[in-house]
Amino acid sequence: MLRSLATVTHRTIVSVLCAVMLITTAGFWFAGAVAQPVIVPAFKGEQCVADTNLMRSDHMKLLDHQRDDTVIDGVRGAPYSLIGCVDCHAQRSDSGAAIRVDAEGQFCQSCHAYAAVKIDCFSCHAAVPEQARQIGLLPDNPMPHAEINRVMSLLKSTDYHAKEQQFFTTN
Amino acid sequence: MSIDNTSYQPLGQTTSGYLWLLLVLLLMSIAGGYCAYNMEHQGHHITGMTNQVVWGLPHVFAVSLILTASGALNGATLASVFGLQIYKPYARLSVALAITLLVGGLLVLVLDLGRPDRLAIAMTTYNFRSIFSWNIFLYTGFIFLGVVYLSTMLDRKINRYTSRVGALVFLWRIVLTTGTGCIFGFLVGRSALDAAIMAPLFIALSVVMGTAILALVMMLVARWQRGILPAAVVNALATLLFWCLLTLLYFSVVHHLSNLYVAEHQADERFVLGGPFAVLFWFGHIVLGVVVPLLLLQRLRGLSQPAANKNTGLLLAASGAALLGGMVMVYVIVIGSQTVPQTLFPGKIVTASSFGDAGFAAYTPSLWEWGVGMGGVCFSLLLFAMVLKLLPLCSEAASAAVE
Amino acid sequence: MQKNNSSSPQTDKSLLARRRFLRNLGLLGATAVSSFTLLEVKAREQKANTTGAVTAEKRWGLLIDTSKCSSGCDACVRGCNEEHGIENEGNDATRAQWIRKIDLKDKLTGSESSVPVMCQHCDSAPCVDVCPTGASFKRADGIVLVNKHTCIGCRYCMMACPYKARSFIHETLTNQKPAAPRGKGTVESCTLCVHRVDRSEDLQPACAVACTDEAHSAILFGDLNDPQSKLATKMKEIGASQVRADLQLNTGVRYHGL
Repeated sequence: MLRSLATVTHRTIVSVLCAVMLITTAGFWFAGAVAQPVIVPAFKGEQCVADTNLMRSDHMKLLDHQRDDTVIDGVRGAPYSLIGCVDCHAQRSDSGAAIRVDAEGQFCQSCHAYAAVKIDCFSCHAAVPEQARQIGLLPDNPMPHAEINRVMSLLKSTDYHAKEQQFFTTN
Repeated sequence: MSIDNTSYQPLGQTTSGYLWLLLVLLLMSIAGGYCAYNMEHQGHHITGMTNQVVWGLPHVFAVSLILTASGALNGATLASVFGLQIYKPYARLSVALAITLLVGGLLVLVLDLGRPDRLAIAMTTYNFRSIFSWNIFLYTGFIFLGVVYLSTMLDRKINRYTSRVGALVFLWRIVLTTGTGCIFGFLVGRSALDAAIMAPLFIALSVVMGTAILALVMMLVARWQRGILPAAVVNALATLLFWCLLTLLYFSVVHHLSNLYVAEHQADERFVLGGPFAVLFWFGHIVLGVVVPLLLLQRLRGLSQPAANKNTGLLLAASGAALLGGMVMVYVIVIGSQTVPQTLFPGKIVTASSFGDAGFAAYTPSLWEWGVGMGGVCFSLLLFAMVLKLLPLCSEAASAAVE
Repeated sequence: MQKNNSSSPQTDKSLLARRRFLRNLGLLGATAVSSFTLLEVKAREQKANTTGAVTAEKRWGLLIDTSKCSSGCDACVRGCNEEHGIENEGNDATRAQWIRKIDLKDKLTGSESSVPVMCQHCDSAPCVDVCPTGASFKRADGIVLVNKHTCIGCRYCMMACPYKARSFIHETLTNQKPAAPRGKGTVESCTLCVHRVDRSEDLQPACAVACTDEAHSAILFGDLNDPQSKLATKMKEIGASQVRADLQLNTGVRYHGL
């Protein structure tokens, strides 16, 4: 029934396939040109809410999970908030003004540029801290060390929901 | 079941007219894509749409394309469900046209979203109370069933299923058009769009627009085959379109008369019949979309059979007018209804508001919106023109030699 | 059907057996359904207990006393805009307006009034029904919100809203507030200052605070479910109605003196 398609010669098909392969694998051939990300230490705080490796691989899972809890169920004050990320990681310029975390070379952007993953957070969310603590979106005191260690031990399992339950029951 | 001996081929010789059309359609599709990119990148403030008129020209095009797609199936349905052999040579064209038009319509709908990049969310997260959600299934189902339907026609081994699949597709598209009509039929907050008659009205509009575009495409394909439509086919199409138009007129009259009768809707109705949209309503929908084609078709039906050339001209004009008039009707329903102020406080006059609660809202479509809408139409036709070349859709019996 | 009496000697044994089977089947089904529902309710309760998730125990709402609202005052609008980082100027037809002031004149008596109109936080919200992705939703405590993470910007909710309470973001935004994420291509509306309410029930929404600061105190926030709440007692005392009560949407925002 598709006899007419057969008139397309094999040579055409092979050349199109080659071209597609070349284009899609271009990244491999030019990989050396991509700069390593600059990971700026956090502006404040000594310890993140979770282990660095876990934050690198799973920060979005943590954020996504808590985001649904917060937006839909009104759960506030849980540990993995985007406001919290911005609060610690936004650098200050020489004049003391906060720099957007998604600006060139900044904490979020430099890693995401390296990994070629578009950040969709900051078209809506504030990328600089602004009185977040004052309006009660963050705990009044930074998380104590013991607390962070406890959260980190909970994070070893992958069931975020159970972890959250535990976090709140023992809190 | 009778054995079908008609042979079908892909569109034969490539005429320069075909190539030119392809080029124009391609350029228009690209331009449409650029307009859509701009609308997403800059935001909807570059369109004429506002927080009051939230659906603009792209929706008019999308709804028109979707309605036309469902109606374009008429040819295939009449042949394989109702057994009208005269439409048999056009059944494949009819299904292919329906699928490609729906693809174009959906494309426009998606590109007009505030966040078209989140299409994946729309396809994976459903709220089953939403008519929009049902429609996502109705549209994708229509495309799937359409492809199956076309396959049963293309492949002799499964030919025997054509009429059964055809019946299913026929039911499906009635539900689909009902679903599309329901989007505009259950909005309690906008009095003009709170009318269950929208569903049958949309079905009537769909068969008019679908028959009209099918007639135009059939004439074009016959021309590419270096022939003309047989006189009997022209007359059959004329009769079909004639009755479809009368049905549309009937539902439209019932719709507006019932509105005039209900005190709550009278202000809106006076607006449609006598406000800023009156010219479009009377001259676009009623005169151009119904009266003119009815008169032309009546004239055609009165002519004797052999005057085929003249017949074709009349059918061409009538179909074109019905198609344009149909789009104007969608414009009046979709846009007109949104420009009417929503009554929040019955019995009170709004003396001041920062958000236009007092008077009619203005809407002027921007060039970008025209671009997206026309781009969708052109993309549909581009797809169709290419499918014509790739699949054996055209039958020798579809055209008669020019005398 | 004959009279159903199991002691009747004429009763067919097989009929009885079938009846018993059907009854048991029904009971089984009912038990299954109810225990699932119970489990779900229980899970929700537990979640609420442990995490502070909102429940249907409360229903937040506003009482607007139009006799205290004055024409020409837009303190509530400004308070709202400041709280959520909304621009005050620009094209009225395309800019976000979570609250708008409407001045009214009665057709018959000519009496004048002025009212703020915002999302009415309907119990049966049309915007929630029509949203294809479920982004437009009602929280357990009655606050109607847009989950902008799943909003695709189709604007069907704006078509459905009887109050024109929703705004579509037409332009790229910058400098959003941490408490009010807002962005181009999505729909938004009054959140009843959910970020304040969640923090403390004593924190009134920004519009109510602004109105009180202006010494009008026309907007009162509170729990509609609690008959002892200030809102409920006040409402009982002065009386209140809904905008477009004919639509039977059971709004969370009520007006006195319309």
